[in-house]
Amino acid sequence: MEAAGGQAGRQVELTQAPEAPPSGPPRRSWWRDEAGEPVRRNLGLVVVLAALFGIGAVTKPDLYSDGGWVVDNIFTILKQASAIGVITVGVTFVIIGGGIDLSVGAIVALAGVWSTTVATQEYGAGGMIFTALVVGLGVGLVNGVLIAYGRLVPFIATLAMLVAARGLAAQISNKQTQVSTNSVINGIASRDVLGIPELVIILAVVVAAGWVLLNRTTFGRRTVAVGGNPEAARLAGINVRLHTVLLYALSGLCCGIGAIMLTAQATSAQAAMANLYELDAIAAAIIGGTLLSGGRGTIIGALFGVLVFSTITNLFAINNLSTEVQNMVKGGIIVAAVLVQQVQFKSMSQFLSRNQIIARSKS
Amino acid sequence: MTEAILRLTGVVKTFPGVRALDGVELEVRAGEVHCLLGQNGAGKSTLIKVLSGAHRPDAGRIEWLGQPVSFANPHAAMKAGIATIYQELDLVDELSVAENAFLGHEPRRLGFVRRGHMARSTRQVLARLGHPEIPPGRAVGKLPNAGKQVVSMVRALSHDARLIIMDEPSAMLAHDEVANLFRIIRDLTAQGIAVIYISHRLEEIREIGDRVTVLKDGRTTAANLPARTTPTRDLVSRMTGRTIEYVFPDRPAVATRGPELLRVDGLTRHGEFTDVSLTIHSGEIVGIAGLVGSGRSELLQTIFGARRPDSGTVQVRGRVLRPGSVGAAVRAGLGMAPEERKSQALLLGEPIYRNITLATFARYARGGFTNSGRERAEADRVAGDLDLRPRDVRRPVRTLSGGNQQKVVVARWLVGGAGRHAQGGTADLLLLDEPTRGVDVGARAELYQVIRELAGRGAGVLLVSSEVPEVLGLADRVLVMREGRVVHEAPAGELDEDRVLDLVMAGSLTEVS
Amino acid sequence: MAHAGSDLTRRRLLLGSAAVGAGALLTACTSNEKETPNTAQTGANQAGANASPGKRVVIGFSAPAQDHGWIAAITNNAKAQAATYSDVELKTVEAGADAAAQRAALATLLAQKPDIIVVLPHDGKELNSFGLEAMQAGVPVVNLDRAFPDALAYRLQIKGDNYGMGVAAANFIAAQMKAKGVSNPIIAEIAGIDSLELTQERTKGFNDTLAQHGMRVANRRAAEFTIDSGQREAANLLQALPKIDALWNHDDDQGVGVLAAINQANRKEFIMVGGAGSKAAIEAIQADNTVLKATVTYSPSMASSAISLARLIAQGRGMSDLAELQVPKEIILASETVTKENASAYLPLGF
Repeated sequence: MEAAGGQAGRQVELTQAPEAPPSGPPRRSWWRDEAGEPVRRNLGLVVVLAALFGIGAVTKPDLYSDGGWVVDNIFTILKQASAIGVITVGVTFVIIGGGIDLSVGAIVALAGVWSTTVATQEYGAGGMIFTALVVGLGVGLVNGVLIAYGRLVPFIATLAMLVAARGLAAQISNKQTQVSTNSVINGIASRDVLGIPELVIILAVVVAAGWVLLNRTTFGRRTVAVGGNPEAARLAGINVRLHTVLLYALSGLCCGIGAIMLTAQATSAQAAMANLYELDAIAAAIIGGTLLSGGRGTIIGALFGVLVFSTITNLFAINNLSTEVQNMVKGGIIVAAVLVQQVQFKSMSQFLSRNQIIARSKS
Repeated sequence: MTEAILRLTGVVKTFPGVRALDGVELEVRAGEVHCLLGQNGAGKSTLIKVLSGAHRPDAGRIEWLGQPVSFANPHAAMKAGIATIYQELDLVDELSVAENAFLGHEPRRLGFVRRGHMARSTRQVLARLGHPEIPPGRAVGKLPNAGKQVVSMVRALSHDARLIIMDEPSAMLAHDEVANLFRIIRDLTAQGIAVIYISHRLEEIREIGDRVTVLKDGRTTAANLPARTTPTRDLVSRMTGRTIEYVFPDRPAVATRGPELLRVDGLTRHGEFTDVSLTIHSGEIVGIAGLVGSGRSELLQTIFGARRPDSGTVQVRGRVLRPGSVGAAVRAGLGMAPEERKSQALLLGEPIYRNITLATFARYARGGFTNSGRERAEADRVAGDLDLRPRDVRRPVRTLSGGNQQKVVVARWLVGGAGRHAQGGTADLLLLDEPTRGVDVGARAELYQVIRELAGRGAGVLLVSSEVPEVLGLADRVLVMREGRVVHEAPAGELDEDRVLDLVMAGSLTEVS
Repeated sequence: MAHAGSDLTRRRLLLGSAAVGAGALLTACTSNEKETPNTAQTGANQAGANASPGKRVVIGFSAPAQDHGWIAAITNNAKAQAATYSDVELKTVEAGADAAAQRAALATLLAQKPDIIVVLPHDGKELNSFGLEAMQAGVPVVNLDRAFPDALAYRLQIKGDNYGMGVAAANFIAAQMKAKGVSNPIIAEIAGIDSLELTQERTKGFNDTLAQHGMRVANRRAAEFTIDSGQREAANLLQALPKIDALWNHDDDQGVGVLAAINQANRKEFIMVGGAGSKAAIEAIQADNTVLKATVTYSPSMASSAISLARLIAQGRGMSDLAELQVPKEIILASETVTKENASAYLPLGF
């Protein structure tokens, strides 16, 4: 802007000479650093994963003694976690931004079905991927606009979308299972790159991108602000509505990616696919330390949440235990994870303060 | 009258990294108003929480009615007869007056709440407090702040409290409401109930208080001083450790007034304010005096783009600002410190520096990637300018005292060089809504200094405050608002407190009833 | 400034047209015109006594709106069968998402006084009362697949044999194992939604019959009748059992996912038996290039039969091949085993 020549002469700092700082910035241990808290939270989930592995090794020593099988099994767990993991990244963003997305499973189904119609498959793998991504993004945008500009409560808007998107998917597919005949798409689930399955690579890329986006970009900063205190964000000049739209669009885009991954795994798509994925994704985000009220959460934690669920499913299969028990254990884990985080956090900080006092009294 | 009902000796409470209470001594007698003075961060809030059972002390002794006690939770303290009325009133807006009063100890018979009994007792207590006009069945959310406070007191009395702790009870009240509050307090003490009264307003303490205990850095620095006769200088020096006056910075000569920064023409929002016009020049502090509800906060928000006006324009340096767009206002160099720090300004769980750079992090970013290092450095510089304590900008804002939180809010608009929007600074037009609410004396003086220095360097400031002396002492020019209209405008030097109160109240007495 | 402005407008225009283009392309992509789905018809065009036109009848029809190939085939078969008769008018009502919605839809249908109603209920027990109501109102009810517990609630009950599916699958597997000389085979099972009675019946038939042959299931997973759940459970099951001799998957629809998981794991050492008899499964059996060697039917062709029999009931006629003057009260379809040898015969019945 062009104004304000008259102020040029008054460029004085508020405090003319900076006073000598009382002391240098205190040296911090890594766990006291600002990144420390999420890391500490995730340690608990790593312990759970290790424990699950241990249980497997104890109950099925014959399988776990075979190194090749163990590697294979880890990849199986990761592959099973891949699509839901990608979807959870999007959901985590929405939750940190103060919203909720109940429509992710339905978006996956719609994107999957839309990208496997006979007409779409004629365009080849590129056309299928493009369709899935655009459908996911588009539905996410509709969610976002309904919520941000239509002033619908996120719960209601995405619940309506859940019903509508599955309906449209059923309409398009005529309730039939649509088999994907595209070997490039189907190959995503069976190909390796340098010994690592492509599905796992996609998951890693999306998680890494999500982490960077949340922790190192203005988009992530806005997300935390909008979720933590929307009024403060608005009064700081952040376009809260636009950002809300972008968050749901991001979630939709992740669903589009997830739809391709899931379609590749099942070599087909149908309107009933990805059933209740919204609950799995939300649960994973929560046990990963994401606050349901918004403003706080971690991508890595959400990933660990997904891995815990995927590992439990795998462990139960290996031990031939029934699905009912498995679901009860999953519910228990959700409650336990949240409880443990609370207790762990409290006692940790008490522990820290005690240590500090001791350190201080010694010095 | 002379027996001590509460006695604290050597009470210590520590939190991670902070020794909030470090040997507090306090003695409260039945039927007295015992004032607690101290800067923000001196430990007053922690002390209240210890007394009300929300925190348990790490060391020290609390004697209540001659017996050593340790309250496991707030409920236990309530049952023992200690009631607390917090600054941010902990009432449930959706519930009725009676339901709030008896929340958690509803009178029951056979498992059913005795609603009639509840309403009757509430009505009795309301009458005793001089507020028979408040209906027990009204939802608390529909009451004004003064009414809510009365409900808090009804709740305290419904527990047969023998000690009522009041944390800045006058902060949310208008002038005449404070007088009523004092009347209630006198009634209570006459019945032998003790009151611990916390306020930053010395004149209130002089008026209502019997004895004063001063806290500094978690310690008692003076106990049981006579409230009316102890010289202000003594009290301030006990609080701050220095002898500073509760003074306003000198006004510069009128000649420093620079070019026009802000021009508001005929701004109207139906039901809030009507046809408001004002200008602010570079280097000028304009104050708005008016009662709560006179439309002053709404006016500020509308100028800032947070509300859309029904008519009228806002121009910044001659350019019309897009209405209803905070983004446009911020880009044009406006900054606002809203009235409610916690709900409107801060991300409490986030680090201080991220709160300071909340409006500016994007400028330090490159290609969408944030630069936390530069943000921290800049935030630390601004924090240093405002003497933020503690200064570690990585701590969550939650851990700061109220006054320091307010500094963070102001600091947000000083990033990049205060008052130098044209040269890359954030804002050179600051809209400050109650900037010193809940801020202690020492921090207040600092804030006044900061605001004056900002103006000295070419910034324009629009200041809203409920405290008339503050508006008169700090502003160059004063607008008096009443019922959404500017009723008077004059240089601050031509007004005094009585005249402003006259203007503010005129006509409003007949409106209220 | 002005230049930048127009630049922005142009960019917006480009973005806008790109969005419209993508939308148009996507809309085109919803097309699924490949071939009409298979429908099974009874021999209405054959010169039987039952085929001759009788009095004109209105048949009401309702089946759940479920996103599952088998249910979709039920509706398609019913419509196709009705279309083959010149004397039948079919009135279908959307049954909605649950039993309550279906009850409401059926009440509307009943009010229109059709000659007979064919209903595949969401849940037999929950809609039993509707059957009683309709029968009392003088409208006969043909109860399809999910049985009304009360015999007064239907005129004709026609259903598949879930227990028999398990029996057939177990018998096929046992025969194959014996032929291969595998004495102690490792048998796996992937069931459908475990909370459904039909799943429990299928598993019971499977276990009972295997036990007769001295065999047992080594690992059983329950999927959800969806492709992705089939893939998931199969992938984990294959990890649990590094070597398998035989696998029974209850449902050919989820079987698409099961087969995908098997291919992805590159496992070929076992034989797989499907369930229900989808067209894709029967084609795969015929082609004999996957582990899928057989499927045990639970055919949606029962909807075609139901329409035919409903017509006869409404017209007051019996089945021409039976001595009785009226249609029987209960028909349970046998679960047949489709193998490479007989696949071509079953292909028209696949859904």
